[in-house]
Amino acid sequence: MGRSSDLKRSNMLWQQLANGIAMGSVYALVSLGLTMVYGILRILHVAHAGVYTLGAYIGLFSFRLVGDFWVSLFIGMAGSAVAGYLIERFLYSPLLHLPRIVPLIASIGLFIALEEAFRIVAGPHTLTYNARIGIGDLSIGSFRLTETQILILFVTFAALIFLWAFLTKTRTGLAMRACAQDAETASSFGVNVKAIIAVNFLFGSAMAGAAGVLIGVYDNQVWPTMGAIPAYKALAIVVLGGLGNIPGTVLAAIGVGLAETFFIGILAIPFPRDAVAFIAMILVLMFKPYGLLGKA
Amino acid sequence: MISGYLITILITIIIYAMLAHSLNIITGHAGQISLGHAAFLGIGAYTSAMLYTEAGFPFWLSVPLSGLVAGAIGALLAIPCLRVRDDFLAITTMGIGFVAEAVFLYTPFFGGAMGIGGINLPNWFGREMTKSEYFLLILLVFGFLLFLDHRMGRSWIGLAWASIREDEQAAGAMGVDVVRFKVLAFILGSAIAGLAGGFYAHFLTFIMPQNFGFGQSIVILCMVVFGGIGTRWGPVLGAVILGILPEIFRPIMEYRTFLYGLLLLAMMRFQPGGILGAESILPEVLRRYIFRPASQE
Amino acid sequence: MRRLRLVGIVFGLSAFLLFFIAGLSQAQDTIKIGFFAPITGPAAADGMSAKHAVELGLKEVNDAGGIKGKKVELITYDDRLNPQEAVAIANKLIEKDKVVGVASGSYSGPTRVTAPIFQKAGMPMVAGYAVHPDVTWDPTQKKPNDFIFRNGYLGEVEGAAAAEFAVKNLKAKKISIISMDNDFGRAISAGFAARAEKLGSAILTKQMYKYPGEKDFRPFLTRIKEGNPEVIFAAGYYGEGASIVRQAKELGITAQILGEEGFDSPKFLEIAGPAAEGVIIATNLDRDDPRPVVQNFLSNYRKAYNEDADMVGASSYDAFMILVNAIAKVGTDPKAIQKALLETKDYNGLTGKISRFVQGEVVKPVQIQVVKDGKFRRLAVIDNPEVITPPTK
Repeated sequence: MGRSSDLKRSNMLWQQLANGIAMGSVYALVSLGLTMVYGILRILHVAHAGVYTLGAYIGLFSFRLVGDFWVSLFIGMAGSAVAGYLIERFLYSPLLHLPRIVPLIASIGLFIALEEAFRIVAGPHTLTYNARIGIGDLSIGSFRLTETQILILFVTFAALIFLWAFLTKTRTGLAMRACAQDAETASSFGVNVKAIIAVNFLFGSAMAGAAGVLIGVYDNQVWPTMGAIPAYKALAIVVLGGLGNIPGTVLAAIGVGLAETFFIGILAIPFPRDAVAFIAMILVLMFKPYGLLGKA
Repeated sequence: MISGYLITILITIIIYAMLAHSLNIITGHAGQISLGHAAFLGIGAYTSAMLYTEAGFPFWLSVPLSGLVAGAIGALLAIPCLRVRDDFLAITTMGIGFVAEAVFLYTPFFGGAMGIGGINLPNWFGREMTKSEYFLLILLVFGFLLFLDHRMGRSWIGLAWASIREDEQAAGAMGVDVVRFKVLAFILGSAIAGLAGGFYAHFLTFIMPQNFGFGQSIVILCMVVFGGIGTRWGPVLGAVILGILPEIFRPIMEYRTFLYGLLLLAMMRFQPGGILGAESILPEVLRRYIFRPASQE
Repeated sequence: MRRLRLVGIVFGLSAFLLFFIAGLSQAQDTIKIGFFAPITGPAAADGMSAKHAVELGLKEVNDAGGIKGKKVELITYDDRLNPQEAVAIANKLIEKDKVVGVASGSYSGPTRVTAPIFQKAGMPMVAGYAVHPDVTWDPTQKKPNDFIFRNGYLGEVEGAAAAEFAVKNLKAKKISIISMDNDFGRAISAGFAARAEKLGSAILTKQMYKYPGEKDFRPFLTRIKEGNPEVIFAAGYYGEGASIVRQAKELGITAQILGEEGFDSPKFLEIAGPAAEGVIIATNLDRDDPRPVVQNFLSNYRKAYNEDADMVGASSYDAFMILVNAIAKVGTDPKAIQKALLETKDYNGLTGKISRFVQGEVVKPVQIQVVKDGKFRRLAVIDNPEVITPPTK
């Protein structure tokens, strides 16, 4: 042991921290939409992962046309937002009065169809999303915060601030929180619940679209089944954080990102990364049956 | 002689019918959404495979044991599952599915990623069973299980389940021991799934952890929902139709999975009760266009 | 009552449809060869690649007049990477389509499940690139499936060849392994580690990642970086390989990256971009091989499909051609075809010269290719018999 290997070790720890938070941020972006939808409709919106993938594809194709990362991000988010809205309007809305399993299966069916649609339209091969904004990496010694990691942190941070401001400082935001608590009462106070639901889906889906674009750029890969793992991992995360609870979800998402990185990179336990989210969830549910920050 | 190709399709369908039926007990009778049912299929399959290949147990022992083991594990898992409510339960069951798959994948004892091979068809009368005979065997067993289900449905157990399904809180208030009956449904459902797993392992002769993942759980769930949750014949019908579909759609193989997803979507949007469910249009269609309007029904 | 009638009707309809489908058959005077691959589903990219390559081979054969004047008909099925479907396909090929031989363009799962079925039916099958050892070996009877042959290398053989190169040519004493956690990854990394350690090098870390789905290797690579190995042996398919290579570069890792046949695809080059430069892989396709069979395939594939061929396509093409070659020699009796395959000597294949089959496994040199100027080029060939001869059981 010596000072140089201590330094190396601590550099590695910082690096892993960066890795973990970056992944956690993407998880947060995806999971937020899911938890917001659940909060207001009590539906497990599995097709949300399809919206995520759609964002990646739309972002990719606009990048190919326009060549600018920020424009492609915006268009990807817009595309996802519209898709989310349409799903709510034409699929969930008519099914709200039925037992919960019905919209769940419908959502699963839609997700399967979407994955296949991507394959049929864009081909089964992985496509590359080589966007850069030209700021370069941030290097301190052998610790390196890569450009894409900086992008992820920035976009997530911006989205979270925006969401927070919206929910706490605007009237619509207040209405949204009211609906999440009790839609009937809110509507009796004059809140246009249908419009709130629409806004909810637009926001949540836009964030999922952003996550899709960011992952597409982070890994330089967009492929039809890229939504499969986020689909169930996001579910575990939202349960872990507390279904419908926004701060809980963010906490859980970052936590899972860090835990995964910790297990692989530091403890080096040969365990499937994706199971971490579920194990964390099951463990937490044993002590807190409504999730970390959830309430009955 | 019936073609071997047809027989393999039939065997696949009947195993899925048994699986759909077993899930129906949990979702239909006990009203619990399970998104990880393939875990029990896997537990049964691996149990039978290990007993057969490692411990030299004959098929006639290893398969029933696979049902028992799966049922026992179902009982163990039922308890934490029931502590957790509704949507949390759905996701917890999904988590169980992932953990089970991970266990099979990562424990060298279970063969890990290599899976387990050499799981043969049973021997009887001094020779190996033919596939047709295997099909008849499973058919018999399944028929017996359906019969049992019918009898149970008429007994106090069935009534208790029906009451829990209709309104859990009211049933509890009326003195029905809700937890006990739910656990019973869990045990029964997982045991039958495990039994199906045993049959499955000996049919494929080779199992890998990936066969028992989330995708498989969804396939089973979709059969139940498509046919009609809670109905006796719905899941079986769902298994038959969704089992035949890949074979019929083979010519348009590029679009098969896409159509499958659309089908689920359409079913839920327009016929959520399933084909044999309460508001199915199928009887109406048949009545109107195929049969004379019945005078009494 | 009404419900029961309903049930009966649906059952009846389904049964009718099933019998109808099962009964359909065609009778033509062609030589039928069966082929299956994961054309849709999670491995669709590889399935399509295999299908394209085999169809190219089919066209070549038929354009040259077929086999002894008869056209070859390819019966293609999509197994969706699902073993149950593979079982159904195998039975269908044997009974309904009445093929004389089968080429597998699929992964281990479907190939492994169909092998005993073909073996029992005495139907020769040549697997293109599936790696599971049980494809050619029956674990219960403890003897080889002598109707099944494999064109690709056994995982452990390929791993051993890569290790041979790493230690003897790259002189690496400290190596880290990162591999996907499936049968292929396990076999190849085990083979690599065994050979490397036998030759005196140290394996610093061995990490496994989940397949499919893992794209973020930064936690794994950060840990590898700490140990400072000279060579990193990475096992994965092109998506994972590209991510590993890119992210390693991003993190400032300078160790030599050594990959395997999974990396052998133009997609790897595209996704990895400039980070692919200098990456070395062990594979079966040698782009600089002057033999016409190689150069013609490469240019024909490019002309027909507007993209470069990859290992999956090349291996499937060879599997098909090996069958065609045997049929051309001895005709369409499956038993005769099997015998011809068993007696293969110095077969001039696209993916290398097969000197012979040992219990269904090839004895064939392993190609070491390097990415130079954005293309795969020959770097070395491993033909040490100790390394490339598959173990006999």
